[in-house]
Amino acid sequence: MFASKWLQRIVGYKDCTSQSFSKVIRNYSVLSRNCPNQNSTSSLPGNSIRSVQTHNSEKGEDMKYDILEASLKHVKNHGWSDAALKLGIADMGLSEACISMFNLGGVEIALHYDKTLNEELEDMMAQQQDDRLPGSEPPPIAHFLKDAIKTRLELQLPYYDRWAEALSLVVDPKVVPRATEQFAHLIDDIWFYAGDKSTDINWYTRRATVAAVYGMTELFMIQDESPDFAETWAFLDRRLSDLEKMGENRLELEKELNNVGDITKAAFIIARNMLGR
Amino acid sequence: MLARRAVRTVGVCTRYCTRYTSTVGDEPELEDYEEYPSDKYKRSEEMIQRFLRVDHAGEVGANDIYAGQMAVLGRSKEAPLIQHMWDQEKVHRDKMNELIVEHRVRPTVLMPFWRAAGFALGAGTALLGKEGAMACTVAVEDTIVTHYTDQIREIIDQGKEEEFKELLQTIKKFRDEELEHHDTGIEHGAELAPQYKLLTKVIKVGCQTAIKVAERL
Repeated sequence: MFASKWLQRIVGYKDCTSQSFSKVIRNYSVLSRNCPNQNSTSSLPGNSIRSVQTHNSEKGEDMKYDILEASLKHVKNHGWSDAALKLGIADMGLSEACISMFNLGGVEIALHYDKTLNEELEDMMAQQQDDRLPGSEPPPIAHFLKDAIKTRLELQLPYYDRWAEALSLVVDPKVVPRATEQFAHLIDDIWFYAGDKSTDINWYTRRATVAAVYGMTELFMIQDESPDFAETWAFLDRRLSDLEKMGENRLELEKELNNVGDITKAAFIIARNMLGR
Repeated sequence: MLARRAVRTVGVCTRYCTRYTSTVGDEPELEDYEEYPSDKYKRSEEMIQRFLRVDHAGEVGANDIYAGQMAVLGRSKEAPLIQHMWDQEKVHRDKMNELIVEHRVRPTVLMPFWRAAGFALGAGTALLGKEGAMACTVAVEDTIVTHYTDQIREIIDQGKEEEFKELLQTIKKFRDEELEHHDTGIEHGAELAPQYKLLTKVIKVGCQTAIKVAERL
């Protein structure tokens, strides 16, 4: 009885008792469109049109985005956990049963936060590309990579204390596919804006190596106590220069491999000559 | 950054609510869907990714097939003909390289393998003589023409003709040129190759497998 009255207030329907929970969820979207002051989407920080554009396919997705944004505020005190999710849901004034929307539990907050930061980095890089004067040279690759990785890691600083926890949660096999997909997209974006135009196996080696560098730098940063993370950026510099050296060695190796191609060709030419063509 | 977020907030509210009163003071009103700077550089959709991946692999592989044929038949009477077809394939390959960069498509991971296999196929059939080389060309081009036609049909079936107009035109043009190569092969004695039917069947099956694998991998 009490529950139905509470639902009535939220959803604004006279007869709530017969409503299934899925209807309540659907009506939430209707409510947020019709109600000018009750919807909490507008007052949350960082909630933006991107949520509408990218999550338009299913109305429930907008709500997920909003709940996760609301839960972020509680991560400082409760970590990336179900407790933070529950508090976020309570902030939105929704039923506690909403937590069943999040299969992976509290980790979803971390994945969501990671995604929003990736999108922010993408926007920054795209803006930089747009602002560059048409005739000018793009920045050197190592410089750009360092800039991009540094910026992305710095974006996570507000949750620095809970970061190690997030990294340890992401290793769970249920979470790994989604997390690696997001990470792969991030590295692909960084290379795209760095000006990578490779169309062969280089595409893969470049991304694999920079992903490894990023991962190592992130781990280093968690335990770095130097002022302004100076040691981390020095570490990043060293790793990127390692990559450059590897790149030079690889070019040498490729020249040698071309010889193998020539030798194969020669074998066919000999066969041709022996067959008298 | 903070100002940018505040401006975005105004935008979202005008989309959701009709009677919103701005709480951010003097920020300008936004259109309903303001574009994000990264929106014009987004990765293309999954179907196009698959199509371009396999088309790219196909064109690079075809180049290597002709390279193999030239390695063996480079000093024969047919060399100018094969060279001419190879030059056309080079144009295709360059265009495909451009397209996969433009659409941010992941190239196939087995590229070195396709290249080696293509070279071996071209050179191996050319060792059977000029007819063998022509038979190989006929078989490969036949598979490619069918494949391109399937792609064109799928794009049109999904109603995305307008969205991918340029890409569709490119694929149509390539399909027509590959058909020309197929006809050239037949003209120059492909059917006289030893075990023509078996040879072309084996090559076609190999190409179709390669296409299936290259789409995903």
